[in-house]
Amino acid sequence: MSHSHTKETDGPEVYFQYEDIEQQQETYLVGMWSFLVTEVMFFGALFLIYTLYRWKFHDDFYLVHEQLNWKMGGLNTLILLTSSFTVALAVHFAQKGNTKLQMRCLFATILCAFGFLAVKTFEYGAKIDHNLLPNHHFQYGHVEGEEEHHVESKWDKMLPSVLQVEKKEQHGNPQRARLFFSIYFTMTGLHGLHVIIGIICFTALMILIKIKSSLITDYVPTEMVGLYWHFVDLVWIFLYPLYYLIPK
Amino acid sequence: MSATVVGQSSAKPSEPKNYLNADHTLKSWLLSVDHKRIGVMYLIAVTFFFFIGSIAAAMIRYELTSPKGILLSSEVYNKTFSAHGILMVFQFLVVVVPAVLGNFLIPIMIGARDMAYPRLNLLSLYMFITGGFLILTSFVLGGVDAGWTFYVPLSTISETQISLCLVGIFITGFSSIFTAVNFIGTIHKMRAPGMTWYRLPLFIWSHYATAIVVILGTPVVAITLFLVVVERGFGFGIFSPELGGDPVLFQHLFWFYSHPAVYIMILPAFGIISEIISCFSRRPIFGYRFVAYSSLSIAFLGFLVWGHHMFLSSQSVLQGIIFSLISFILAVPSAVKVFNWTLTMVKGSVHFSTPMLYALGFMGLFVIGGLTGLYLASVDTDVHLTGTYFIVAHFHYVMVGGTILAYLGGIHFWWPKMFGRTYSEFWGRLSAMIIFIGFNLTFFPQFMVGYLGMPRRYHYYYFAPEWQFYHLLSTAGSTVLGFGFLLPALYLTYSLFKGKKAGPNPWNAKGLEWEYTSSPPITENFTQPILVTDSVYDYNPAEDSKMYEVDEEATVEDMNK
Amino acid sequence: MAADHGHHEYTAGGAHAHHILPQKTIFLIFGLLLGGMALTIWAAFFLPVKSLLENTFFMQSLALGIAVFKAYLVVTYFMGVKMGTRLVKIFAIGGFVWFFVLFVMMADYVSRPMEPVVGWEKVPSSALPRDTVKNPE
Ligand SMILES: [Cu+2]
Repeated sequence: MSHSHTKETDGPEVYFQYEDIEQQQETYLVGMWSFLVTEVMFFGALFLIYTLYRWKFHDDFYLVHEQLNWKMGGLNTLILLTSSFTVALAVHFAQKGNTKLQMRCLFATILCAFGFLAVKTFEYGAKIDHNLLPNHHFQYGHVEGEEEHHVESKWDKMLPSVLQVEKKEQHGNPQRARLFFSIYFTMTGLHGLHVIIGIICFTALMILIKIKSSLITDYVPTEMVGLYWHFVDLVWIFLYPLYYLIPK
Repeated sequence: MSATVVGQSSAKPSEPKNYLNADHTLKSWLLSVDHKRIGVMYLIAVTFFFFIGSIAAAMIRYELTSPKGILLSSEVYNKTFSAHGILMVFQFLVVVVPAVLGNFLIPIMIGARDMAYPRLNLLSLYMFITGGFLILTSFVLGGVDAGWTFYVPLSTISETQISLCLVGIFITGFSSIFTAVNFIGTIHKMRAPGMTWYRLPLFIWSHYATAIVVILGTPVVAITLFLVVVERGFGFGIFSPELGGDPVLFQHLFWFYSHPAVYIMILPAFGIISEIISCFSRRPIFGYRFVAYSSLSIAFLGFLVWGHHMFLSSQSVLQGIIFSLISFILAVPSAVKVFNWTLTMVKGSVHFSTPMLYALGFMGLFVIGGLTGLYLASVDTDVHLTGTYFIVAHFHYVMVGGTILAYLGGIHFWWPKMFGRTYSEFWGRLSAMIIFIGFNLTFFPQFMVGYLGMPRRYHYYYFAPEWQFYHLLSTAGSTVLGFGFLLPALYLTYSLFKGKKAGPNPWNAKGLEWEYTSSPPITENFTQPILVTDSVYDYNPAEDSKMYEVDEEATVEDMNK
Repeated sequence: MAADHGHHEYTAGGAHAHHILPQKTIFLIFGLLLGGMALTIWAAFFLPVKSLLENTFFMQSLALGIAVFKAYLVVTYFMGVKMGTRLVKIFAIGGFVWFFVLFVMMADYVSRPMEPVVGWEKVPSSALPRDTVKNPE
């Protein structure tokens, strides 16, 4: 029942609840946009929390943010902007009906997404080695009567020298540092989770296109996943300056 | 309403098929993407959660009959009222009307064949059940003792099953987001030709407003509760004061959703009442646009008053006063609705059928609940009343007296449509009376004992044994109320098997769902495409009442023909 | 319904031809985004004007300004709001506006240090609650 044609058209299949393909496409986009509004509010609460603590503890946040590697963050920005670009192209080719190029663009996007996660792994790995994950191992700054801890991280050593930044001393209030890293890991972690969901969606989309599934009848699924991916990119556009480039 | 069927009817089906008898296998139910079947499955699910929540409520009421407590230790009592609150709020009140009646009726009312995204609709049902299952699991594994509000730092240091419970609530939250996305897509894009915005039934308007609140508010509480899980699970410290974090920030974010959540619960109820009042007064709703706009203004203003839950926190006095002011302003659109319903009845020809009795009960109780809210919205009286049984009584008047009475009214109103059977009008009216009496007996004494100072969430009051009188009244009332809730469950179930067949329009009501579908509707809802040409509410009191009153008793049967 | 619905020309995917974002625009926007990113990093580390580099407010506004511009480009072009229906525009703008309602919370933290009445701690004894135990009157 659910997939029967209600009206003969030259275009793609129309599900039974819609009158025509135009209604179907617009309805899907409206749904996706209202879901994106939800996502805006979802991250919005986190941005609010960030704003509050940044406003309260600006100086500490400035000192602590020097522990982050701005070059890696910048590389990730580059990667995500590129992936947004390839998604836009994928939608373009999907609308043109050029499946071959569409698939290539989607594949490039998935590569970018994995690249993003790889960079993130290096960052997280180094942070965890430095005891900066805010769990009970967390340690920041100089502890009285102890050697200043200079844990070397294999993740840092593996980096090419272009991407390494000068090690900064761990200044600032350790408690605020823990607060900083709590928010940092929550926001970037949730963002990373969205990247993983994006990879899953893109892979599913590519498989469905490959096997010519009846679920993919037009460009709209590509555009919807694309919208989601642009949103993921948007979040990072703000996360990068807010975490890696905090001014004095 | 005026609408025409486009095109000529083809050969009539030999046997009346409908969504219930279209297919009988269990799989055809569990994997159905038909909005009507999903609505019915939601009906079963929410009734189940309501039943569990009611057991917790009964335990609370029993415990409070003695000043020293009877049965429960303090820890178990904490877990009991938490279970009651969590189940009733997240698994019942927030979803009940939209998920059951909204799912069932929205596509039919706007002349669509189904929801915009039927598969998403099914997904949200299963997310709802999964969330509920996780919550129940957390209760079984040891319970949750932080109340339904999960204030930090209690919820971050408590050693009960809070993380699991919060994960369940998170999933349920996304289930209601998906339902809301579905409503928005459906209402925007699936309306039949000619069904303009100002011809929409008010039920649709209020569900649209609800959906907006859900997609704007629910993600905020989802992330907030998620942060509590992270804080418990990984030791992150986003709200923890020892790191410089602010526990009051949790309250801000929590109430940013949870005040609008009150409107998620009550706005769909307003929609039901608008439909019932105009049908049983045989008059078009008075001031249609005002009622429609008041839904939207409640939805938006509702986001700007959350601070009235936090007068006693460290929230700044200035902001407290501003929130108090906006809360008072917010009473206006709610009052607009009540006045418009009242004016609809004036000069109408009012019939006291079961749904109407529930609707009238709703109006009385909602007015009391709303007006006592003003005491709590002004900063200085709130200082005395917050944290007492006054507040408990207030929100039960709004939630039970409002949402549940409206829901029951709606279920009685659309029952013949949903299942094609009529119930016993006598038992229906009786249950409406019993619930009204039992409800007032339960919660009015709580206003008094709360004003005297009985704190909420205490399971003893040995320091003031004279309050036992009020608690006994309340417990007696809750017994009556429980019996009242049981009655519809019995006679409605009975009607499924033995009820008389209802015609397509037993109430002689207006609207696409009554005039253009059979009872129960077929899977595609309409046999023919619909073209709407006039307003929904073209009731005529003079004409209709004659026809209606001659054989009021026989209406239901006669409409069959 | 839709008896009078005119037949539309569909492209292969079913889209209207004018909905497709031209390739040239996609490349242009990508270039602008990269430029914005380069500008942010350059400004954060290599801005030649020392006094500005020390000015927190200016630097933060600059970084956020560029971020908002990039977001604008992504939303308007890549996400197709510019070519979208009015409804899509309302959702895009609405989400953005409602995001700021959350920031009403900041008003609380900003106004907490404000005293409700200047000198409220030195209230005259007549305005204090009566000591009903000592003075039942
Ligand atoms: Cu409230």
